Amino acid sequence: MIDLLVEGFETALFPCSLVLLAPGVAAAVTARQESAAALTGYVTTVIVVGWLRFSGQIGDIGIPIVAMAFALAAALLVVPLIRRINLVSAAGGGVAGVAAAALWEPCVGAEFGGLLSDLTGRGVVGVFLMGVYLVGIMAPLAIVGAVLHLIPNPFLLPARPFMMVAGSAFFAVLAVATATGVINSVISKLVELSITV
Amino acid sequence: MNRGQFIAILVGLVGVIGVVVALNSGSNEPAQASTASEGAVAQTNDSSDVGDNPDSLADPNADSTADEKAPVEPTANAPENLGPAMDLVDLDGWLQTDATALSDFDGQVKILQFWTFSCHNCTATIPYLQDIYATYEPQGLEIIGVHAPEFDFERDPAAVQEAAERLGVTWPIALDTDKLNFRAWQDRRFWPRTFVIDANGDVRFNHIGEGKYDELEATVAYLIENGGS
Repeated sequence: MIDLLVEGFETALFPCSLVLLAPGVAAAVTARQESAAALTGYVTTVIVVGWLRFSGQIGDIGIPIVAMAFALAAALLVVPLIRRINLVSAAGGGVAGVAAAALWEPCVGAEFGGLLSDLTGRGVVGVFLMGVYLVGIMAPLAIVGAVLHLIPNPFLLPARPFMMVAGSAFFAVLAVATATGVINSVISKLVELSITV
Repeated sequence: MNRGQFIAILVGLVGVIGVVVALNSGSNEPAQASTASEGAVAQTNDSSDVGDNPDSLADPNADSTADEKAPVEPTANAPENLGPAMDLVDLDGWLQTDATALSDFDGQVKILQFWTFSCHNCTATIPYLQDIYATYEPQGLEIIGVHAPEFDFERDPAAVQEAAERLGVTWPIALDTDKLNFRAWQDRRFWPRTFVIDANGDVRFNHIGEGKYDELEATVAYLIENGGS
């Protein structure tokens, strides 16, 4: 089991995890001091939707639904600009997680491959193990969330309203890019850039 | 959520990880047999009566260990027949071969792997495939790497060729640029995905991800020793 977690940690460093990590970071940045709520929602739905997809419980989630989910996340994550409600941030993160998990096509190591081969047969244990692996991949998000939560000093980070609007705009762009099919080029450029850097 | 609650959640997460570590140290659960049920290609693969430890095959890049590696024994029983393999259709060309279709390899035992060159897990399998290729290619094995790009910059055939040379991929490469075959062969899509196809065109091994190299080689060895089927 620990091997699965470690493999998840390692996979976080590779390009094929970007589609899971980038929206998570954006959700945390947008939610700022509600980042824990947003990330809890995000990680939870990534695990659940990931398990549903890879255990064969559901098929592919259509591009229109993914685009709408990103748009809904954009709307939900900007609501706390008016009134801070943890539940709204959690819902925004959760909806973003559904979209990210729908787009995720994983590169698979030996441990995760072993799990995927019998994901359905393991039942609830399979969900747990999927969670262990994904917690490993998304561990960098916990660091981002902790930094955002523990350093509320506006002199270290741009003002909260600006961050929320920028984060929300990121999800709106993701929604449009997904709907138009441009998202593949955007992700490709990001990956190419990350490899170059 | 206040700072105290946040810290409580962090402590809880650390606790969960601690439980995971403790459970792991208390059990030596064997790896599961591949029982993937996928598309029109495969139903089950119970040919797990061979070794399943990916680390047990020496790194073929290490000269001394590669020379000393004990040959993998063929499976004692015939690998399960998982049904006829699909064709490769609407490809964007081939590299490193004169072949123009999968049927050009009819009658041969084939390892067919869906891969893409920026995928770390895909490139990690290459040394093992090189080792198997060196051993069994003279006896009739062919490896076909079906390149299904994940990102746009992997779509350029010149980039694929450059990567193949850099990574030491010497076997034929089929260009599945729009991932039509990658999607058709798999209900659930992963990189890498490795199949063994016997001389009759039936799938005899189906594995997601890295690992199971001994089982892969044992399957190939069985098929080669038994005339391809």
